[in-house]
Amino acid sequence: MNQKVRLVVPEAPSPQAVAATETRAVAKGGIRLGVLDNSKGNADHLLKFIVEGVKALLPVASVVSLRKDSVSLPAPADILDRLAAESDYVVTAMAD
Amino acid sequence: MSALAQLLQAPGASIEADSDFDAVNALVMEKGWGDGLPVVPPTEARVAAMLEYCDRPWDQPVAKIPPRWGEATPLRLAANAVMAGCEPRHFPLYLLAIEAMCEEPLNLYGVQATTHLCAPLVIVNGPVAKELDINSGHNAFGPGHRANATIGRAIRLALLNIGGAIPALGDMSTFGSPAKYSYLVAENEAESPWQPLHVDRGLPREASAVTVIGAECPHNVNDHESLDGEGLLTTIAGTMGIAGSNDIYYKAQPLVIMGPEHARTIAAAYSKDEARRFLQQHATLPVAKLSRDNIERRVKVTWKERLPDPKPDDVLYAVQRPEDLLIAVIGGAGKHSAFVPTFGATLPVTRALRTADGRLAKSVEDFRRR
Repeated sequence: MNQKVRLVVPEAPSPQAVAATETRAVAKGGIRLGVLDNSKGNADHLLKFIVEGVKALLPVASVVSLRKDSVSLPAPADILDRLAAESDYVVTAMAD
Repeated sequence: MSALAQLLQAPGASIEADSDFDAVNALVMEKGWGDGLPVVPPTEARVAAMLEYCDRPWDQPVAKIPPRWGEATPLRLAANAVMAGCEPRHFPLYLLAIEAMCEEPLNLYGVQATTHLCAPLVIVNGPVAKELDINSGHNAFGPGHRANATIGRAIRLALLNIGGAIPALGDMSTFGSPAKYSYLVAENEAESPWQPLHVDRGLPREASAVTVIGAECPHNVNDHESLDGEGLLTTIAGTMGIAGSNDIYYKAQPLVIMGPEHARTIAAAYSKDEARRFLQQHATLPVAKLSRDNIERRVKVTWKERLPDPKPDDVLYAVQRPEDLLIAVIGGAGKHSAFVPTFGATLPVTRALRTADGRLAKSVEDFRRR
């Protein structure tokens, strides 16, 4: 029979897995939709289609569309703050 | 009960397994904890030995590694260092490299997750490079030295296991790169005619330090014929203007590696700053080398102020300002240098090796628990 050994786990758990289970409240007038264009080529077209698709499926009270300058860098704080303040859900996209 | 044994009682901190080497490696593969190569089993005893060279609290994160933003505790880092084959005395430098690459300017989230093929390159300077026998000479980027191979591999395992840079999940690189197995060298300070990289970056010469760059693999610059510095710099500059490089679209800080022979010839006529200025001015790419769509969709957007209406003879620069170019002397004999393009949306980070109380470390033994 094999002997047993205790191994130290090298990985970190993902905090995203916890966040994904959170529920979100939606106002009666419809969702406030945020859109973050990551500035990839055609991302604006893809997001436009997605917004149209969401509107066809769900009541949408408002849409706030913002664009970050670099696809490779995080969105600046002012953009994130505005999306957090004015949106219930945010859609972002990459496209090529 | 030891301090480590207590930490391992936390949920998810440890796992019991068959002690057989093959069984441990089968488990590592099943869990997705490796880089594809066999690993040294991260047993409690081996991790305890690794942590003898850590003067920080073992369960407190020293950084969060993107894209998962996993907490890099010394305990988890030590497990990855054991798996990579590190010696315990390697641990302080490894931890420093992880801390440095998680600083905001490097944009590790982008470096890890991008479709580009970059990886964090670590250049080690100072006395610790010699103490740990980190290769800076012949074949510095290749095999043969345990410190280069294993510290670099430990970094990659941490980026995978803690940061979640899992291929096609957290790491979307189109090609990946051999540099994603291990990418760590030392500067060949003994053969350099100039002050070393970490001094260029503002640290005292006696410091040991890492400089981390979100980099491609080195591209060779063969010049056996030029007999003076101007000739060699012309060839190096000619290698830097690349149509497919990210650096021509960003205010990037790429790296020129000079082989010691090239460096000596150049230094006979140029200071390091003069060489930097020459390379910045001459490392250009004519707009005519770019496609019409790239001119319309990238050049006119990125450089709209300098080139609102680009003409074929206008030029793009591989590096925008002389001070943005990093120069290091690495390698052995031979008439070669190398250019290391970057991810573009990343800036190098240099950090000194310091003990927990903030003193510049003179030796990795400064970190050893007494």
